[in-house]
Amino acid sequence: MKNYLKNYKIQTPQIIISFFLIALICLAFILDMDLVVLLNESLIKLVMNGILVLSLIPMINAGAGMNFGLPVGIIGGLIGLCLAVNFRITGLFGFVMSLLFSLVICLFLGWIYGLILNKVKGREEIAGTFIGFSFIPLMNYFWTLVPFQNREMLYPIGGQGLRPKISLENYFSNVLDDMWLLQVGSLEIPVGLFAFYGLVCIFIYLFFQTKVGRATIAVGENEAFSKLSGLDISRIRLIAIIISTVIAGFGICVYSQSYGFIQLYDEPLSMAFPAISAVLIGGSTGKKAYIFEAVLGTYLLQTMYLLTIPIANEILIPELTEILRTFITYGIILYALLIKDRRGNKQ
Amino acid sequence: MKNILEIKKLSKSYSGNPALTNINLAIKEGEIHGIVGANGSGKSTLMNILFGSPVIQETGGYEGEIFFQGKKINIKSCSEAIRMGIGMVHQEFALIPDMTAGENIKLGRERTYKFTDRLFGRRYSFINKKQDYEDAAKILRKLNMNLDVSIKIMNLSTNIKQFIELAREIGRQDLKLLLLDEPTAVLNKKDGLELINILQEMARGGLSIIFISHRLEEVQQICDRVTVFRDGKLVSQYQKGKFSINNLAGDMIGHLVSKAAAEKREIKGRPIISLKRFHVKMPGEEIKDMDLTVFKGEILGLTSLSGHGKLALGYGFMGLYPVEGEVFYENQKLTKMEAKTNIIKGIYVLPDDRQGLGLLLEHTIEENIIFPGNQIKNMFSRSFGLKILDFIDRKKSLSHVQNLIHDFQIKCTSPKQKVKELSGGNQQKVCIARALTLKPKLLFATEPTRGVDIAAKEKILNMLIEINRTQNTTIIIASSELDELKRICDRIAVMVEGKVFKILSPDSSDLEFGLALSGEEGT
Repeated sequence: MKNYLKNYKIQTPQIIISFFLIALICLAFILDMDLVVLLNESLIKLVMNGILVLSLIPMINAGAGMNFGLPVGIIGGLIGLCLAVNFRITGLFGFVMSLLFSLVICLFLGWIYGLILNKVKGREEIAGTFIGFSFIPLMNYFWTLVPFQNREMLYPIGGQGLRPKISLENYFSNVLDDMWLLQVGSLEIPVGLFAFYGLVCIFIYLFFQTKVGRATIAVGENEAFSKLSGLDISRIRLIAIIISTVIAGFGICVYSQSYGFIQLYDEPLSMAFPAISAVLIGGSTGKKAYIFEAVLGTYLLQTMYLLTIPIANEILIPELTEILRTFITYGIILYALLIKDRRGNKQ
Repeated sequence: MKNILEIKKLSKSYSGNPALTNINLAIKEGEIHGIVGANGSGKSTLMNILFGSPVIQETGGYEGEIFFQGKKINIKSCSEAIRMGIGMVHQEFALIPDMTAGENIKLGRERTYKFTDRLFGRRYSFINKKQDYEDAAKILRKLNMNLDVSIKIMNLSTNIKQFIELAREIGRQDLKLLLLDEPTAVLNKKDGLELINILQEMARGGLSIIFISHRLEEVQQICDRVTVFRDGKLVSQYQKGKFSINNLAGDMIGHLVSKAAAEKREIKGRPIISLKRFHVKMPGEEIKDMDLTVFKGEILGLTSLSGHGKLALGYGFMGLYPVEGEVFYENQKLTKMEAKTNIIKGIYVLPDDRQGLGLLLEHTIEENIIFPGNQIKNMFSRSFGLKILDFIDRKKSLSHVQNLIHDFQIKCTSPKQKVKELSGGNQQKVCIARALTLKPKLLFATEPTRGVDIAAKEKILNMLIEINRTQNTTIIIASSELDELKRICDRIAVMVEGKVFKILSPDSSDLEFGLALSGEEGT
């Protein structure tokens, strides 16, 4: 890690985003907004989205590319959340139970997802995109037909099928956000939330220190070498993909408790792209990713999102935020694909 | 004669480490100019500068001036160099694996249909594939090669790839200066000699050639002038006929090289491995119907002309290519040809394609050395129960690696240096260190000294002898360097068309080997 930071090079995307961010902060200052409140919110936003971004790392490092099939893991997490709400488990215990439920489901989903991706080696990114696209409509049937009993989850009229937005207010909304708050002046630091984030980071760091984790990086870097060294490449990739899926499930649990709602149906589809652009903004090449890159990228991207809304509302047309948001999210992915291709050609 | 190329006060450093310092060099028209030097002496850097490789620009360009045909130039890209009439044959291949041999040779100057030329312009015109292939085949015939040019590059063996790469440059009409980085390194002696004849003919036609080689005899034979590099500096320059090989070797290393040699002995014992009707389907290097018995504790040389199967044997054991036939290893039949199973049983392969198969370039020296030992045999691991979650015992591994770096004199800043920053010879030492870590009973070394300078070469050969003598490791060396095989092997098997043709003693004469290599029985 120390070595990595020493060699860390700031690249074009970070420069663009950072300039943009500085401009926004200046604007916010001029417009007399409460910077402390904004900073506070930016910290929550970091963790809220950060775990989804971290979930990309194992797959990228295993050479399975950027996980455009993120919805698979997200759906696993959503099922876990729904189960916890269905059994009316509240508070921190409810949140932990939702993590456990989603762990079990994601292990299974990740296993199937991994088996499919091992069949399409080299084209995982496009395959993942379409696995996500085709999995969503299938799950839409599931959400409408699943026999959950908790009335708070069901459509109020008719009493069948889950609502698109299930409130967590009576269960565990903000349970992590509000855990162990530390007051520094007017700044509130959500220590509990950060502790959880830190745990996931440490877990990923430790994973790459283990034998299988080190094998994962080797497979991602040079498959022929790994084969000659006697590694079972399919198995190692499968493990990395399952871990990515499980972390994605945890990611959506944390996201939902911050947001206060479980969002079902087509919602997971829109979550893969911002996560991928975040890790790219952090400086990843899409072939290798570090925890530091995921954290930095998430913070830059989410803070930018956060600042554009109030500022645009204040001085410009509000629609502009959404336009900028989408443009930056997709533009960065395109940029990364361009860069990646150029690097590939050099060899 | 006029100078075609003049280099004045050229310096280049990679992030603070000087690779070239203050080089002054002039190349005449129609001259074959040899450049020799140990690995890491800056030869390849000079070539990269002259050919405008992107590595140079990315690492901050160079200092000094270069004049080409009297004009000052600053080459920023390979296409610029090509336009000026500079061609280069790379040490590591620069061919497109998904395209056929013919397409690679004619790349960038394809024949097109006249009609479509006029219709869409030259750039968007249709390619006349048939004529391209004919041209390509003609160029290859000039190199005495008969190859189906419609085979894709990825299916060819390294030796043939080298010829394709040469053919691509030789086929150019506007070529004025040709840079050859170790062109004969992957060729056997006979093919090398043929190539030399062709080069001399081209030089007589007015082409200037910069010739980098580790084979000093060749340099002595064909170069009009020779320049010696050492540690990025120009140390000496000789005219043809005014130097001996020992001069060059001395200048390169700074001191004289003692050649590795193993004492002669008779090995008879029990066989460690015997092959019966063994096949390996490696494209371009196929083994067919091979029968061979190797005794425990011997060093067996395996040699053949390019394409006759010497490289495939080890890869067959590691499951890289499909195999057929029976193999008995330590009196047991091997049923599964798979890397993991065989590594555990004590078989390991040093691959010839170092960059592609032999190393994790982005990883450190330490990780490269301990990787298979740690992954397959759980060496250097600190366990908490479940094996796949083992961490590395950094203390143990670091001291092991430091010992090896010291023993093998691997030139590096620390065990944590990335392998891609090392020179070819040092990379090979890392590979051997890795093999040694596994303590194999049977080691396949494929072209262990390819692309390695003399000093490192002898060191590597000595390492192999030492492993054999101290650990009683049986070693099978597949190499086209007959001279080296004769010095260290107990027996040398000559392969022809994928079979063992004859097993000779290392004391046999060159004539006997020559006959055997070409499949002649002799008298």
